[in-house]
Amino acid sequence: MTREPNTMSRRQLIRHTAWFGAAVGFAVVGGEVISHVAGSAAAERSNARPTLRFAQVSDSHIGFSGAPNPDVAGTFGHAIEQVNGLGYAPDFVIHTGDLTHLSTPDQFDQVKQMMTGFRTPHVFTVPGEHDSVDDAGQKYRSVFGAGTRGDGWYSFDIAGVHVIALVNTLNLKKLGHLGVDQLEFVKQDVAGLSSDTPIIVFSHIPLFAMYPDWGWGTDDATQALSYLSRFSSVTCLNGHVHQLFSKTEGNVTFYSGTTTAYPLPHPGDGPAPKPVTLPAGKLHDALGIREVSYTKGQAALALKETALQ
Amino acid sequence: MRILFRLGLAASLAVSALSHAYLYIHGYQHIPMIGAAFLVQASVSFSLALLIVAGGPRWLEWGAAAVAGGSLVAFVLSRTVGLFGFSERGWEPAPHAAITVVAEVLCVLLWAAPIVVRRPLPKRLVVAP
Repeated sequence: MTREPNTMSRRQLIRHTAWFGAAVGFAVVGGEVISHVAGSAAAERSNARPTLRFAQVSDSHIGFSGAPNPDVAGTFGHAIEQVNGLGYAPDFVIHTGDLTHLSTPDQFDQVKQMMTGFRTPHVFTVPGEHDSVDDAGQKYRSVFGAGTRGDGWYSFDIAGVHVIALVNTLNLKKLGHLGVDQLEFVKQDVAGLSSDTPIIVFSHIPLFAMYPDWGWGTDDATQALSYLSRFSSVTCLNGHVHQLFSKTEGNVTFYSGTTTAYPLPHPGDGPAPKPVTLPAGKLHDALGIREVSYTKGQAALALKETALQ
Repeated sequence: MRILFRLGLAASLAVSALSHAYLYIHGYQHIPMIGAAFLVQASVSFSLALLIVAGGPRWLEWGAAAVAGGSLVAFVLSRTVGLFGFSERGWEPAPHAAITVVAEVLCVLLWAAPIVVRRPLPKRLVVAP
């Protein structure tokens, strides 16, 4: 029996099949080994001391008075004490807006005085809509605007992390709004950064559509987030909604923080987000502080929420 | 001479695999799509390099060249239009980007050299059944 010169014998076919099987087998084994090493490395890093630790407080509404919380200064003072009692000095503390309730000079003065009580090297803020009730944020910027750009936005680098503080409470109609100037700032700000730089973004109003019917979203946030799409780790922290909530969209994770003043209803519970009066003794459970830590090499930040004690 | 080409090709592919595995372990595993692609690249490259050294058939070298060439294309895309929404700049992460590109270019050249030179290589002795 003769065979075409270009045809394969059964033995050759078996041999090639064996080589192919070996290639697939080694690839699977190799993949398993690399995954295992990556898992072990991640576990080791999780036991390491964080590279960056900071605390978030939000929506202190200094100046508010009503049944939902008759003593907002008292509960904000508790929050400050709680941050100071964490057992370590956070690298910084961020207040994500609505520092005051009605933007009066006295309220700004009071909240600034209170925040000097944080035992941390830096306190950063962004304004809420309650901090710009009648002047487009001028009083806010005169107290907290040093070193900021535009209407109070800024960025800084700390421990290898790039932090961006955005203002989305000015020029708002229903939803939050960043505006052309601020979008350009974000674009330029991250242009020179390597894609493996962890990014943290602070704003008052959520940068995701948490509940647009109540204005819990930012109409031009998609544009800002598009500039951050190439980064492997983007974490957005916000206030405004007075409750914990988190959402992940691609490489971006959003975390809404709670308040130190009074709770708001869950999205859609009732016609509008009005302050909720809780039964006696339940208020502190709805208020709280947030600890955030970043460990070098980990994409995700670790968050710990603690109710006010 | 032929064995030197094979060893060089396998070594360059192994360097590329090592670099991809290192980046996967040190953070790239968390990048959507890119993480999985790095894991596949590293494991397939390791496997091919090993079998080429072990004296496997010629199609393994074609596979090695395809993986190396594909990785180079992906590298260029990630520096230009982006790849699965992921983009990087220049030679970051240094020095791994540069090491990987050099290794993959070398791999493709070592695969192509015998074809370009058109020097007939001695055929492997195959015992007929």
